[in-house]
Amino acid sequence: MRSIVDFAPDDVILDRAAILGSQGIPGDADLTDNFERIYSEAIDLYQELAQPAGIVSGITISRFEEVFRGEGRNEPANPVEDIFRRSGYLALFAVTLGAVLSSRVTELFNNGDYASGYMLDSVSSFAADKLTDLAAAYLKLELTDKDPAASSWRVLGYSPGYCGWHISGQKKLFEVLRPDETGITLNESCLMSPIKTVSGVLIAGPGEIHEFVNSYPFCDTCRAKSCIGRMRNL
Amino acid sequence: MELLEQISENLQNGFDEKVAALTKDAVEKQIHPKEILQNGLIAGMNVVSKKFKNHDIFLPDVLLAARAMNSAMEVLKPLLIKEGIPIRGKVVIGSVKDDLHDIGKNLVAILLKGAGFEVIDLGNDVPAEKFISTAMEENAHVIGMSALLTTTMPVMKKVVDLAKDEGLYGRVRIIVGGAPVSKEYALEIGADAYSYDGANAVETVESFFPVNS
Repeated sequence: MRSIVDFAPDDVILDRAAILGSQGIPGDADLTDNFERIYSEAIDLYQELAQPAGIVSGITISRFEEVFRGEGRNEPANPVEDIFRRSGYLALFAVTLGAVLSSRVTELFNNGDYASGYMLDSVSSFAADKLTDLAAAYLKLELTDKDPAASSWRVLGYSPGYCGWHISGQKKLFEVLRPDETGITLNESCLMSPIKTVSGVLIAGPGEIHEFVNSYPFCDTCRAKSCIGRMRNL
Repeated sequence: MELLEQISENLQNGFDEKVAALTKDAVEKQIHPKEILQNGLIAGMNVVSKKFKNHDIFLPDVLLAARAMNSAMEVLKPLLIKEGIPIRGKVVIGSVKDDLHDIGKNLVAILLKGAGFEVIDLGNDVPAEKFISTAMEENAHVIGMSALLTTTMPVMKKVVDLAKDEGLYGRVRIIVGGAPVSKEYALEIGADAYSYDGANAVETVESFFPVNS
């Protein structure tokens, strides 16, 4: 399968507690009027400017091995390798919020409106991550349509730059995925454009394949620690 | 309320236009630029920093205050230069060669300016040589580098090595940051410091300078 998927800005539930949490703000914090105004403006701008879209493209395990290997710079031991080998289905993906929203963030910073730029960037980063979940949900529906047994599977996204998959892996991933028709491109520095874009592999299979002990050497320096929440929700 | 107190209070609330207007007012009333800077603007930013550390306010509030500080500095800077009053310190900052990520670096630049430092922002994709040549030309006190990719981090070491070659090492302090960068990496390449976020970067740069210098 290879599908271009269009989402609506409303498809992403903007979880206020999670967005503020990503800024290090506790749920019970007493926020200033200025803060509330900027937050509310950022939400409005997101709804107005986001053009979420994505591409999901199935890939065999043997072909993905080559993609994952990339330039041969992955960590020798990493969880992704163990997980994808036990998967029921794999798909490369890229999702984006579009160029207009990313440009507005830059524009706000350039105009000296730092607080609004920071807030819109924060809301957009959260939304871009959530788009991965939407792409995973889309894939699960497709798989379940073909085989009802897939309804019990869990589909999770893994991206270059995380969990021992070296960022240079983006090059091979883009070479195979060819997401150009969604307007997503990759430059020499492995930076995706538009900025608010996520790419990687969606790994589908029984929930337990996604479980691992997060004690790899690179886990020490990882600040995201998103694996903990993901595994808790399996 | 005294004029300098009004400047401080409005800065804390992020009212940039009001702060600029009050600063002009203070200049017209012959209040010395250094006094406006110390007892109005920096006094206000100190309160903001304290509240931020105590989690009474958060980064967007600090950024509003920083913008207000910058608007006042537009008024004050020519006068400070004319009077030969030294600014707090000069920082050359940029995202390293082949790294086009700049939000984090921009935040650090904004917060440093807000804290009263002069910031020369070289932007992103900055070659190692550019950091060094600018630091030399501008007599900078600090070089700040950001990298968001593991592939671009080695440029940071190149800058440190060039600083050694050019005799800047030790004289110009080098601070590094960015998602894949760590304290251990900073130590390994010979940088003076690592900062994990914008507020920490300001604290670290401030620690390089004696109080009120």
